[in-house]
Amino acid sequence: MSQGKYQVILDTMPETESRLEILFRQAGDGFMQVEYGREQRALLQDSFRMLAVNDIILAKEIPGLIETVPGIRTNMLHYDPLVISEAELIAAVKEAEDSMPTIDDVVLASRLIHLPIAFEDSETKKAVARYVAEVRPEAPNVIDGYNLEYMAMCNGVSVRECKDMILGTDWFNSGGGFWPGGAFLWPTDPRCAIVVPKYNPPRTWTPEGAVGIGGPCVFTYTTPTGGGYQLFGRTIPVFQFSCTHPLFKDGPFLYRNADRVRFHEVSEKEVVEIYDHVHDKTDYEYQIEQGEIKAKEYIQWYESEEVQTGMQELKAKQAEGTKKAPRL
Amino acid sequence: MLKIINGGIETLVEDWPGRLGYLGKGMSASGAFDNVGLGLANVLVGNPSGEAGLEITGGFLEAEFDGDHVIAMGGSDMQPTINGQPVPLWESIKVGAGVVIKFLHIGPTGFRCYLAVAGGVDVPAYLGSKSTCIFGSYGGFQGRALVEGDEVLFGEPSADLAALAGRKLKEGAVPQLTNELVLRAIPGPNTCPDYVTEEGMDLLFERVSKIQHTSNRSAYRLEELPDSFFARADGGVGGSHPSNIIDHAYAIRGALNICGNTPILLIADGPTLGGYMCALNVINADLWKVGQGAPGRDFMRFELSNQDEAIAARKEQKELLSEASLA
Repeated sequence: MSQGKYQVILDTMPETESRLEILFRQAGDGFMQVEYGREQRALLQDSFRMLAVNDIILAKEIPGLIETVPGIRTNMLHYDPLVISEAELIAAVKEAEDSMPTIDDVVLASRLIHLPIAFEDSETKKAVARYVAEVRPEAPNVIDGYNLEYMAMCNGVSVRECKDMILGTDWFNSGGGFWPGGAFLWPTDPRCAIVVPKYNPPRTWTPEGAVGIGGPCVFTYTTPTGGGYQLFGRTIPVFQFSCTHPLFKDGPFLYRNADRVRFHEVSEKEVVEIYDHVHDKTDYEYQIEQGEIKAKEYIQWYESEEVQTGMQELKAKQAEGTKKAPRL
Repeated sequence: MLKIINGGIETLVEDWPGRLGYLGKGMSASGAFDNVGLGLANVLVGNPSGEAGLEITGGFLEAEFDGDHVIAMGGSDMQPTINGQPVPLWESIKVGAGVVIKFLHIGPTGFRCYLAVAGGVDVPAYLGSKSTCIFGSYGGFQGRALVEGDEVLFGEPSADLAALAGRKLKEGAVPQLTNELVLRAIPGPNTCPDYVTEEGMDLLFERVSKIQHTSNRSAYRLEELPDSFFARADGGVGGSHPSNIIDHAYAIRGALNICGNTPILLIADGPTLGGYMCALNVINADLWKVGQGAPGRDFMRFELSNQDEAIAARKEQKELLSEASLA
């Protein structure tokens, strides 16, 4: 560790068989970033472990710890330095880390949320139409009034295959942020890991419930807003400012860290009717199953020949697709 | 009650410390941009220092009281008048039904004036705070700035109005506003040697930068940094620009986000997470100064600080925003 005046690494924990090196980074007088590894990488197994440790940290109910904000490979701790010192906080995190010594210990509580989706619905289509009319008339990512053709093209697959990949994997929430109630959803099955560029420039409007993808992450729009993700359909409300539906009685948010989302295809009519039952009649029953993720099992499955072969096949198609798809 | 005749440029209900605990849900804390201005005004009228008041940005608020109240103003001097008569900032004043309060434009220093009323602004707390997030249109007064015809209600004062009126601040308690904001800051989490060159960090702490006119309650934008600021050629998997990083939470309020070559101070309503590096944090006790920086007019400079100094400054500010500051 250097002793320079811009030294920001307060402490470290060495790499072990089951975890990366941990860096405790200074982030002002009230925040500290816990970083996993030195390499910029986005792997779900890193997130599984970090969120499991995060649950342990939160369960301690540490006085002065205001909140934790996990990303895919970092966890930001927000604290009151008049209540808990930096050193005490580091000690608490280290204790949580040490309580999870092997990969067998990494078991993460994870709900499975079933969300209906209508592909290429008319409401989301309006957002694409407005983009063409007001922002980028010749947008190459808009084909037949939607972004699905472009998404398929980027990945070297057909539109139907693209839809099947969206429906064929669970989407893991590595943590929220950026927009109220939002979640960054990553594909758990690498054979369904489509990747697309983001809008350039971004949209000015997206309807509530629109579902899009940018880079590798799916995002379900919680409220009407601008945005840059490629749009492919619409799901039901995942956020409710008014907190009138029983599911939202403790806060406007549906998603929790480590949730998995599984989409199933329905008609646009069905999706639209559910809005009425969530926001007005407040009697819609969300389909949510309690569950868990065992990191060791996931890694074994991920590394199996079948999954690896499928992943390589998709990557080959994507390499071809990237050559053909126009840049944004 | 206060009936709004003219909402001015932007008048919001804000409290302090704002809406804490929802960064991971995509909700920044919001809160009074200059919490010292609001805090001292609150202390003058007998409120807890973090009670909700009106944050008047840019000026021109005009409104009429419909009953007896004790008020105080802090922050930028917008030459307020009561029924046309000039009234001072930093002392508590009794007003009665029919009194019209009017603010002019900002003076040579400062950008936001705070109006505190004994009993505080009575709006429902949303997720633990009365603050408005104007960027997300929630909290405060119906999630928006005040406009003509709005009726703002107040809570119960902590004491008889006669006892709360005519209170002043001790000498030295009034914050001094300047056109060059000196902000004490702690480096991190992304600095040298891996993200920024040592020369880059030196530059960041040496230079004086104009606050760009595109600044708002989410972000205060500064002048661009040279490419030599960065210690790397690109952001790897995070993106092609060296300022890119795999999405991480921002230490908001107070993080200096490096977005491309543009440093952006993330404050009040700013984004809670994103894909750009953060090179320093303004210490919590100096955040109030940012709220008094006028975009397009004022300048900003960072001064190297550390945890011990920041914690001592927090304690000092806590003491300042208490009845100990009353004359």
